[in-house]
Amino acid sequence: MTVDLAGTTGRTGGDPGRSGRAGGETDAGKKRRRPFGAQPLGILFSAPYLIFVGVVFAYPVIFAVWMSFHDYFFTAPGAQVDRPFVGFDNYVTALTDPDVWRAFGNVGIFLIINVPLTVVLSIVLATALDRVVRARTFFRVAFYVPYVTASVAVVAVWLFLFSNTGLINNVLGPLAPTPSWLVNSALAMPTIALFVTWKGLGFYILLYLAALQNVQKELYESVAVDGGGRLRQFFSVTVPGVRPATFLVVLLSTITGANLFTEPYLLTNGGGPNGASTSPVLLIYQKGIEQQNPDVAAAIGVVLIVFVLVIALLQRRFVGREES
Amino acid sequence: MRSRIVTYGVLTLGALAFLFPFYYMVVGSLQTNPDPSIAGAFPHPSNLTTENFTAIDGRINLLQGLANSGIFTGGVILGTLVFGVLAGYALAVLKWRGRSATFALVLLVQVVPFQLLMIPLYVMIARDYGLSDSYLGMILPFFINSTAVVIFRQYFLQLPKELFDAARIDGAGEFRLLWSVALPLVRPALLTAVLLTFIGPWNEFLWPFLITKDASMQPLAVSLANFISTIAASTTNPFGAMMAGAVVLAAPAVALFLIFQRYFTSNDLGSGVKG
Amino acid sequence: MDAKGPITIWYSNNDAEIAWGQQMVAAWNAANPDQQVTAQEIPAGSSSEEVIGAAITAGNAPCLIFNTSPAAVPGFQKQGGLVDLSDFPDGEQYITDRSGDLADQYRSDDGGFYQLPWKSNPVMIFYNKDLFAKAGLDPENPQLSTYDEFLATSQKLKAAGVSDYAINPAPTSEFFQSWFDFYPLYAAQTGGKQLVEDGKATFDDADGAAVADFWRTVYADQLAGNEQYQGDAFADGKAAMAIVGPWAISVYKDKVNWGSVPVPTEKGTAASDTWTFSDAKNVGLFTACQNKATAWDVLKFATSEEQDGAWLNETGQMPLRKDLTTTYADYFQANPAYQRFGDQAARTVEVPNVQNSVEIWQTFRDGYSKAVIFGEGDVKSFLSDAETQIDQLAAGK
Repeated sequence: MTVDLAGTTGRTGGDPGRSGRAGGETDAGKKRRRPFGAQPLGILFSAPYLIFVGVVFAYPVIFAVWMSFHDYFFTAPGAQVDRPFVGFDNYVTALTDPDVWRAFGNVGIFLIINVPLTVVLSIVLATALDRVVRARTFFRVAFYVPYVTASVAVVAVWLFLFSNTGLINNVLGPLAPTPSWLVNSALAMPTIALFVTWKGLGFYILLYLAALQNVQKELYESVAVDGGGRLRQFFSVTVPGVRPATFLVVLLSTITGANLFTEPYLLTNGGGPNGASTSPVLLIYQKGIEQQNPDVAAAIGVVLIVFVLVIALLQRRFVGREES
Repeated sequence: MRSRIVTYGVLTLGALAFLFPFYYMVVGSLQTNPDPSIAGAFPHPSNLTTENFTAIDGRINLLQGLANSGIFTGGVILGTLVFGVLAGYALAVLKWRGRSATFALVLLVQVVPFQLLMIPLYVMIARDYGLSDSYLGMILPFFINSTAVVIFRQYFLQLPKELFDAARIDGAGEFRLLWSVALPLVRPALLTAVLLTFIGPWNEFLWPFLITKDASMQPLAVSLANFISTIAASTTNPFGAMMAGAVVLAAPAVALFLIFQRYFTSNDLGSGVKG
Repeated sequence: MDAKGPITIWYSNNDAEIAWGQQMVAAWNAANPDQQVTAQEIPAGSSSEEVIGAAITAGNAPCLIFNTSPAAVPGFQKQGGLVDLSDFPDGEQYITDRSGDLADQYRSDDGGFYQLPWKSNPVMIFYNKDLFAKAGLDPENPQLSTYDEFLATSQKLKAAGVSDYAINPAPTSEFFQSWFDFYPLYAAQTGGKQLVEDGKATFDDADGAAVADFWRTVYADQLAGNEQYQGDAFADGKAAMAIVGPWAISVYKDKVNWGSVPVPTEKGTAASDTWTFSDAKNVGLFTACQNKATAWDVLKFATSEEQDGAWLNETGQMPLRKDLTTTYADYFQANPAYQRFGDQAARTVEVPNVQNSVEIWQTFRDGYSKAVIFGEGDVKSFLSDAETQIDQLAAGK
């Protein structure tokens, strides 16, 4: 049972002043200030979620931050150990470790490849998908399928495809790089970026498809009347029209990229040749769990979170915000 | 006309590139000996077999793994549907103090990497709550999916205000509003969120691995990840066995998606992102 | 420490070891109905140490784990997770009687035994007799005892094209991979030295350089691959040699016509004097255990002469027992293929029992991978940089 909201959307979409706020201040009779807002039931509705976040999330995060300022390691219950406060020592250790810098650098390489590629491919494919009528189901399924499958499942195929004697190298013949893809310090991270882009594209196509519905058809027509072809329509109507979606895509793919763990872990055990595909989260895992240095790991984690927040703020400034 | 060919051309090329690894995965799972040559991509009938499936089933119990994955994922979907919808509705439709702070929290939760929280979480859930080796312990950190909350909020935002005002004037309470007015309108969108929420726990292999020592409780993603990293090397056709396991893990997700994908029609996702 | 009652144990997850584990548990349970043992396979993972560490933290570790890696013991000890077996009245005695001189490598800094040395897999060179014959080499007396000989033999194998690689140790960067390329040869070259002794790294010297240069040549001449092979390269005929312990015999026996020799040294050493890496796995008794006295009794039972014999029979891995070949002379006579390993088991080197053990090995591996496997940067600086870092780690940073 599908409901076509296009009609109502057009209406609310056309009134920026009312975007996103139901029960806005212009409602007659709601002018009096109430301490908990007009519908305090909202607090009740959100309570389970907030409790969940508080328990499952807030406590570990606060604990992690606390750990990053102390000399800490996990002990059996009942074991007595010193846990001295060490100020910024862990941060110094983390930030003077070349491995950490390389890991952040790797994430940078990853983002530079993955984010623009994701945006371009998903907007192009979404536009194309929006326009076709025949075999639409087939195409849609083709693009979403990688997204719904587990990395664990798919990684093994890629390992095989990109290995020294794998199909890709067989096809490329003499052009195949040596050492081959995933063991090549220069190519390891780009290969992972390619894999993650391929895998995540379905989700972003979905976001763009939805945003495309809001671009009014008349705009295309007016460009066409002026003699503009498909390409011109794409650049002057589509791209600006889906700007909020672009922001969301950029933001989400950045967050996912910065927190990359599964792919480096599975595709290049232990971080690839010479640390060429180590990611900060992989380091957190290694240091915190394998090497039992959760204090340094926590420091890396805090730095990572700050790093992501800064990038997110920059993106918001330059790419534009989502209007809601 | 030309542009139509270009469009279909681009899509077809894209679709082939996207599907090829899956085709290769299925081919790999059915081959007796892995054949990385170009010819191997189109397998010879004599090289086909189902023994890879039996091999991996002998080492990790596929059915039990699937069942565990199902319970884990089901629990998360339940929590997200019940409490996530409530939160999304509150964030979109109701006006209350702390609303924007809560939304900021929903976004912030997604920024923090799970691996950072893993051990404190483990200590809390296993030691303090005593929930190790239990499904509840597995489900707890994932119970309400924050991305889904964002999606629910978006859907509810698209519903016209007038609908709610009219119902309120008629004396409907908020809960009634949610249940009888808002939910039916976004039901197809709920399905979208369910499908997206499904993917997380179905594919999660680190947390369940930590929290359950008992091999019979482990979801399939965990068993497969461990198989690939440790046991595969000692089987006869490691690649084939891995592919067989991968096919089994991917199949339900893909099947579910195929069945429900028509609800993904762009109209419903609602102008999930306003333009 | 005196409590008795039911306990839980974990054992390894490969077939032969599971079989042994089950019969051991059954035998104990039959004789001790009020102290039942519940057993389970250790949860599999790329590194089971994480699971054990997490279990210690949560307080739900089992009483005994029959697969405790010596490299992880310092970490578990620091966590307060392991019981000092010397605290049992007969602890010290039992361990030293059973293992003799080898036991000393397993003591911790405070002199106590936080692990029971259980069994080892002395690392040796396996070679494929058929492939050697095909390449025109003598399959019964291969020239593999000096570095020069080893390299020349490998070059011949490569030139003859009988396999992709002469030898193919795993080139990946997990902290434990150096145990199967650098460390066995280092043990042999130095006649039994550990990587770290008396809190100081030992490998930045002529011996360490000789071993590292040897492997550098192997990789530079592409006698070994720098990409991970999914599966066992030796079993699949992709490599003519392997460097591994006797547990692999059960994997190879039907697939490869194999022979074994000790690892090479620079100038060659007699087989009866050659040392190697032990690849030992030991048993830990964990503080979370309620009934420690029972756990200790079960441990003694499981490592008794009878049970060690059953272990040897079932798995072919060497119990860390002194006078191994004489105690089980019958077995070795019936299984001559294992005789060499039985001999070798008396000369094995363990990973150093020092703080930050895992991190030390990871640091070493990262540098080794860069300089030796991928040839970026030179061996000399790798050894000296690694030494500086490891000295700090061993001192507790």
